[in-house]
Amino acid sequence: MTQALLWASLAALGASPLPLARGADTFAVHAAELWLGDGQRIEDGVLLVEGGRIKAAGRGVDVPLGTPRIEHDSVISAGLIAFDCAVGLDGETSEPKRSVLATGRLIDAFDASAEGVAAALSEGITTLVLTPAPTTLAGGRCAVVKTAHGTVLSAEGLLALSLSEEALDPNRYPTSPSGAMTELERLLGAGQGALPAAARVAVLIEAPTRDDVRRALGLAERHGLRGALSGSRRAGELAEAIAAAQLAVVVGPFASGVAQRELDSVVALGRARVPLAFALELPTRHPAGLRLSASLCLRAGLDPAAAWSALTSGAAAVAGVQTRVGRLERGLDADFVLWSGNPLDLSSRPVAVFVDGVRAHQRGE
Amino acid sequence: MLSLALGLALGLVPRAALASSTPVPSPLSSAGPQESAPQEDAEGEVLWIHAQRLIVRPGEELSNAALLVRDGRIIAVGSDVVAPEGAREITGEVACAGFIDPWSVFGLEPEAAGDERTNAATRSVDGIDPYLDPRLRQQLVEAGITAYRLQAGTRARLGGVGACVRPHPGLPPDEAVLLENCCVAASVGITRGERGQDVFDRLAELDRLLGALSDAQSYLQDQIEYRYELEEWQKAITAKEKELEEGFKKAQKDREKEQQEAKEKDKEFKEKKYKEDRRPKPPRYDAEKEVLARCVSGELPLVVEVHRVAELRGLLEGTQSFGRLRLVIAGATEALAVAEDLAERRIPVIVWPAPQGRLLLNGSARPLEYSEADPALASRLEEAGVEVLLGSGGAFPSGTRELPLLAALAVGYGLDREAALAALTTRPARVLDVADRIGSLERGKQADVLVLSGDPLATTTRVLYVVCAGDIVVERKE
Amino acid sequence: MILGLILSSLLAPVAVQELEGNSWSVWADRVYTAAGDLLEGAVIRVEEGKIAAVAPGGSAPAGALRAAAVTPGMVDLSVRLLSGWTGVEHAREVNAGMRASDAVELFDERWKAVARSGVTTALVNPPDFNVIGGLGLAVKTAGGPDGAARELAPERVVRGAMGAQPSTRNHPAFGRPEDLYSRRPTTRMGVEWEHRAAFYDAAASRADAQRAFPGSPELLRVLDGELPFMVQAWTTQDIRTAVFLKEEIEREGLGRPRFVIDAAAEAWREPQLLVRSGVAVVLPPFAPLGRTGEDAFMTIGSAKLLSDLGVPLALSAHGNTSAGNSLCRQAGWAMRGGLSFAAALAAVTITPARLIGVDERVGSLEVGKDADLVLWSGEPFEASSAVIGVLIDGRIVLDPRAGAEQAD
Repeated sequence: MTQALLWASLAALGASPLPLARGADTFAVHAAELWLGDGQRIEDGVLLVEGGRIKAAGRGVDVPLGTPRIEHDSVISAGLIAFDCAVGLDGETSEPKRSVLATGRLIDAFDASAEGVAAALSEGITTLVLTPAPTTLAGGRCAVVKTAHGTVLSAEGLLALSLSEEALDPNRYPTSPSGAMTELERLLGAGQGALPAAARVAVLIEAPTRDDVRRALGLAERHGLRGALSGSRRAGELAEAIAAAQLAVVVGPFASGVAQRELDSVVALGRARVPLAFALELPTRHPAGLRLSASLCLRAGLDPAAAWSALTSGAAAVAGVQTRVGRLERGLDADFVLWSGNPLDLSSRPVAVFVDGVRAHQRGE
Repeated sequence: MLSLALGLALGLVPRAALASSTPVPSPLSSAGPQESAPQEDAEGEVLWIHAQRLIVRPGEELSNAALLVRDGRIIAVGSDVVAPEGAREITGEVACAGFIDPWSVFGLEPEAAGDERTNAATRSVDGIDPYLDPRLRQQLVEAGITAYRLQAGTRARLGGVGACVRPHPGLPPDEAVLLENCCVAASVGITRGERGQDVFDRLAELDRLLGALSDAQSYLQDQIEYRYELEEWQKAITAKEKELEEGFKKAQKDREKEQQEAKEKDKEFKEKKYKEDRRPKPPRYDAEKEVLARCVSGELPLVVEVHRVAELRGLLEGTQSFGRLRLVIAGATEALAVAEDLAERRIPVIVWPAPQGRLLLNGSARPLEYSEADPALASRLEEAGVEVLLGSGGAFPSGTRELPLLAALAVGYGLDREAALAALTTRPARVLDVADRIGSLERGKQADVLVLSGDPLATTTRVLYVVCAGDIVVERKE
Repeated sequence: MILGLILSSLLAPVAVQELEGNSWSVWADRVYTAAGDLLEGAVIRVEEGKIAAVAPGGSAPAGALRAAAVTPGMVDLSVRLLSGWTGVEHAREVNAGMRASDAVELFDERWKAVARSGVTTALVNPPDFNVIGGLGLAVKTAGGPDGAARELAPERVVRGAMGAQPSTRNHPAFGRPEDLYSRRPTTRMGVEWEHRAAFYDAAASRADAQRAFPGSPELLRVLDGELPFMVQAWTTQDIRTAVFLKEEIEREGLGRPRFVIDAAAEAWREPQLLVRSGVAVVLPPFAPLGRTGEDAFMTIGSAKLLSDLGVPLALSAHGNTSAGNSLCRQAGWAMRGGLSFAAALAAVTITPARLIGVDERVGSLEVGKDADLVLWSGEPFEASSAVIGVLIDGRIVLDPRAGAEQAD
């Protein structure tokens, strides 16, 4: 009997076809280098997956006999997280006739089978944060989804606010930043009820110019807001103030031809220890742009640990889903990527991507 | 012992060694390949560059080796090269040849880069603005680019004559130009202005290009014939003169007699005309045809930007009859369909390995010349046997700075690592006819060297030193 | 002489400080404090951004900050850098509660030029596209991150406007599709009506809390005299309207407001009205032929005329920083029209500071006030003098030392 089991497990070694159905199946993955997240890297690590979640991760993991095993000769890490995506929404990201649509949920418009989602998956991106367009003062609740199986991590995520000029319309209230700020103060003020109580919900504030960032910081201070700023190209010049307000910043997307000043701003934010995340703007940009943004920041001097955190664990914390994704830790979802080399290096590619413990993408398919 | 070895090395260095293709001196420009006598300048600084991994050329690596640079040239390469006294010593993890971008618009005046009304005789080197954007220039060099093909009129039907130049911030403009007339550029079927074009317009453009080439070929024929006829005429004149000289006295008497007769009879005296009086006429000078004739004769390569299959096929068929034409395809988004032909005819392809969504990599709207851009194009073409070069698309000046990152991305999409490095160094040098001077770390070539902290294509690698024509232009103190 | 040398050596800090410091000594041949006295051959000691001492001093050591004359930093009550359409909320015509501090662009590059022209404190108002635009705020023209402007004090005035400008883009409800701008006022008459309605309704809300509306608390503060009401009125008829509005408010017992009339170009025509009603006046920039904005005509003697009658007077430059139009040139023009130097200096320093209530911090060179100094190459406001140095809160914004590189 044990011999049969032994043969069975031997047969299961190597490239065994994995069960496709999501569920209670258990398997182990052995990696030459396992990136647990937050800077921890383990050589010859093992990841044990059960029921779509990580049961154990590290060295010397106790793998039960007979568990199917996958060998990977390079790096395995958590899946990447991209902000500011509008893929699968078919352009329906704004309701410009109303200036406030705080309870609108972007998830209601999401189509998981859209093409761009699969493209993102093949680049190692396992989580997308869908954000409304910045054309409304309070655009709605962001959604956090996975790039496979249509899994929804958060249907009511960050509350999207916009201080940008695009949210102003000369034909409806508010037509000016003063009107916008007055309206936001009124809605965020205690007892008004139109916006969820600020203490419970995190916000994502679109603040393109430095003056917008200044206004956002004022707003955050007066109402005790937590969350992140996005869309700013020179936020790094106010890095200390942002760090003091304990807000994160969503930076990018950066592409070929980006001004050096924008990259310097990101490096300044990194030095001030402001949590970062990268925006991708799917589907107008190619999903490879996520790691390209990170590479450009790295080349400009961003600390590699900060860059990696901005792609995984830090981004998950900003999106509010750190209890589900972003690290390879017991209890978190089994979303991980088998890379062909160092994931921060552009010459590496995902060999396979697992979402919820099921292989969702294999290179070459 | 050492000085003896050095003396031997110096004495044995040939002037133009290791040339895989010798550029033909062009009648258009006064300067040929920049061959200057090794100047005995006052400094005579010697550089000794040592690396754990010295990449002489992709596929040929020396470990724990060094190279010696003097007066801007590499005079010795090997594991046994030691630093002479007084030499400036540089060490790093990896040393390789500087990168060359074969498809760039950096350094041109902005209007020149986007000019759509250039013709074949336009010279890109005339449009250089050496004071433009010094910060970007410095960033370019810090990224490792030590030479690039400069092309004006990248969106024009005939972009004119491109040049191979260095972005070296310190060099005077006339020394920065490696090769003034390096290639001729053309484009078929791309979007011009805001409008796209339909298939008939695109094919008409292709016909026009092929027509221009055959006109140039006839022009070349005419020139050759003219030269032949001129020779023949010279011979005939000399022969006739000799003949006439012999019977000179008699002929003189005959002439006087005729003159007398004409006067008596009150008739007009006509001078005797010989058919040799008629000098053969040279073909009418046409600047554009001159340039294209040099393409047709194989002197200058012709770089054509073309994307779609129909035009690619038409181009390949149409240029088959030009036996000596050196064709290079740029863009080639749908070239997989004709990859076999390209491989067979050994036509190099310059690929811009940028991943594109609905927007271009720099945020501008994607032009309509192709419907899908496959980021794995470079690797697929390479697998099919086509010689692939990597360029920055000629779309905007700062694209050149990101070329090494894009090359890394191409490697990620399957391009062989060695091929990627070759696509940045040896292959563009060869295609642009400057391989005798740059492209690899070999004895006799000019010293364009990168000293890095890791693999040249890795994102986390830091560029420690950049040596351009023997001068250290970038020095990172870390 | 030896004593002087010893004294100066005791007083003089020898170290050359970097651009970042906010403690300096400034030597000047003449110091005009705008607090009533003139000091010759003085040194101003600045410590931690405040004025610590103004005392007689000797000759300046090499490399120190020195100038022919030093005045307090100038205060401009109408700098108009917030002038775009989005500077003020258009959904309502009366927005007394909205704040210009939400719309002001402190990172605007133009602040640097304004600071270097000698204006150290500015009042930023919402642009005058509305009847009552909102609350203006006082800023220091430099001192924020990256050389940006910095908030000094919020909510200094309530801004209003008379005349034709507030009715721009409004149209009557009939004949066109309805949109945000189908409303009154469409005429001068309507503008004045809106002003009176706003003040009457605000006064009514004192008694009846149900009648409060957005902005009524601020209008009540105006009626109580706590916040000045700064109203733009270029032409004679608009100035009259503003004055009559103030007098009506007082007569009807609604309150005792303080009015400041901005851009009062034609104030010279009926000065007795201004004296009688006790309003203060801010003059717009002088124009070469007298024609200023909204086709009003301003004489060059306006400043002298009003000053002689005792009307509180301030000069403004509307954000101009060119050599011929900056605030120091406006003072020069006013002097050419007959205004005395002391009055001109007061009109660009202490009087505007007092009008908006920041005179405890700025406006004159007195111990304890902010170290906002302007260093001149000759007599201030003369056409041949230039502003060679500016300090704001003790930090150098324009460096007067020869060969110094200006911080970008």
